[in-house]
Amino acid sequence: MAATTDSVKADASEAPLLNKVNLFSGLMLYLVFYSFIRWYEGVYGWSAGLDSFAPEFETYWMNMLYIELVAEVFIACGLWGYIWKTRDRNVMSITPREELRRHFTHWTWLVMYGWAVYWGASYFTEQDGTWHQTIVRDTDFTPSHIIEFYLAYPIYIITGVSSFLYAKTRLPAYSEGLSIMYMVSVLGPFMILPNVGLNEWGHTFWFMEELFVAPLHYGFVFFGWATLAVLGVVNTEVDALTKLLKKDLA
Amino acid sequence: MSASQSAVRSRAEAVQVSRTLDWMILFTVFTVILGGYHIHYMLTGGDWDFWTDWKDRRLWVTVAPIVSITFPAAVQACLWFRYRLPFGAVVCVLALMIGEWINRYLNFWGWTYFPVNFCFPSNLIPGAIILDVVLMLSSSFVLTAVVGGMAWGLIFYPGNWPIIAPLHVPVEYNGMMFTLADLQGYHYVRTGTPEYIRMVEKGTLRSFGKDVAPVSAFFSAFVCIIIYFLWHFFGRWFSKTDFIDGEGL
Repeated sequence: MAATTDSVKADASEAPLLNKVNLFSGLMLYLVFYSFIRWYEGVYGWSAGLDSFAPEFETYWMNMLYIELVAEVFIACGLWGYIWKTRDRNVMSITPREELRRHFTHWTWLVMYGWAVYWGASYFTEQDGTWHQTIVRDTDFTPSHIIEFYLAYPIYIITGVSSFLYAKTRLPAYSEGLSIMYMVSVLGPFMILPNVGLNEWGHTFWFMEELFVAPLHYGFVFFGWATLAVLGVVNTEVDALTKLLKKDLA
Repeated sequence: MSASQSAVRSRAEAVQVSRTLDWMILFTVFTVILGGYHIHYMLTGGDWDFWTDWKDRRLWVTVAPIVSITFPAAVQACLWFRYRLPFGAVVCVLALMIGEWINRYLNFWGWTYFPVNFCFPSNLIPGAIILDVVLMLSSSFVLTAVVGGMAWGLIFYPGNWPIIAPLHVPVEYNGMMFTLADLQGYHYVRTGTPEYIRMVEKGTLRSFGKDVAPVSAFFSAFVCIIIYFLWHFFGRWFSKTDFIDGEGL
């Protein structure tokens, strides 16, 4: 009887397998933040973002660029450093239930990665197309680029690398060796950011506004294909979860 | 970790865990594929997809199906051949079109003020349904490439026809005859306008008159078959679960 009571108490105090508060808070954090960003560019894109030589461009756009670059470096170093510093050095000795709990936390990271990729690669990238079809650029740092290249892309990179590091440092399935497709699914979309170098270098020769499908942009396309490696990550995860749950689902 | 220990307390909890993970996996696959497919599509066929005046009878019909069959073929290679899930193409296209519609409304219209009936996306849903049905019934990627790939190319123009037809009626403007879609473009000048004038409906194919769209669709269907094969194998490669030793990196 005493043992049963202890067991019930332990269950009640035990952390849930999926922390739904973390999951929905994360999703809402990106949604609210990007809604604010969209409002900001809607207002200050037209009023202060048309002439890069104007003083208001420096105030509203270049200062935003400097702030976001510094913030991203600090957040990336802090987050990645924390995940690595608090790594589990005995990852192979955890209980199956703890392993399942960590898989849920890992999937919370992956959900956030997907959400961040959507905002970066879909929402703000196509938005850049309509801005350039409307406004002829006089700088590499157009309002749409300051959001797309230097804010939304770093955010999905930070999220994706965090997810990879979490899996590598806390899950037995990833403890020995490196998952090729996990690396492709994180490093491929990451390479879209360095590819901005090619893009902007090309734009110093040509505006290229006349054709969004210009070959100069194909670097983005090639590295965008790497998102398909999420299928390999899913397969790896399904294998690991099947081992954990198979006998209970049989 | 003991093999005899269980990760869950009951079968009911195991089922609940499995269902919850299904939703998290689906959300992640949906959004990541959305991002990758959208950046691919907008930068390989985007101009023809953005504007009604670019949605002509030749290059739109040719380019859009060829560049859009890629991700559906790759995702089908994983979802059907590993999990027997018959919705790989529809998931891709649904993701792409949701991303496009959000963008066209909130950004093309909401930020740069192009009316939505000038910048709505192409409809890819009919082709995706056919592609999934052919794979589900045949369970053969070869048949899906040949029959489904060809159908993907051929169905594109008819699938968009109810939407685009009202904009392809002829109008006379300043003594010139052109389509209503052309007139929209005339009033909404973009940086892409000069390229549009250079590229749209040029060449001897225009002299074929009414046959331009079917000929273009047939050519597109031919290339779609080849692209499907290619991307099926991309999908297989991306579905691998291999690990490498990290010491060499």
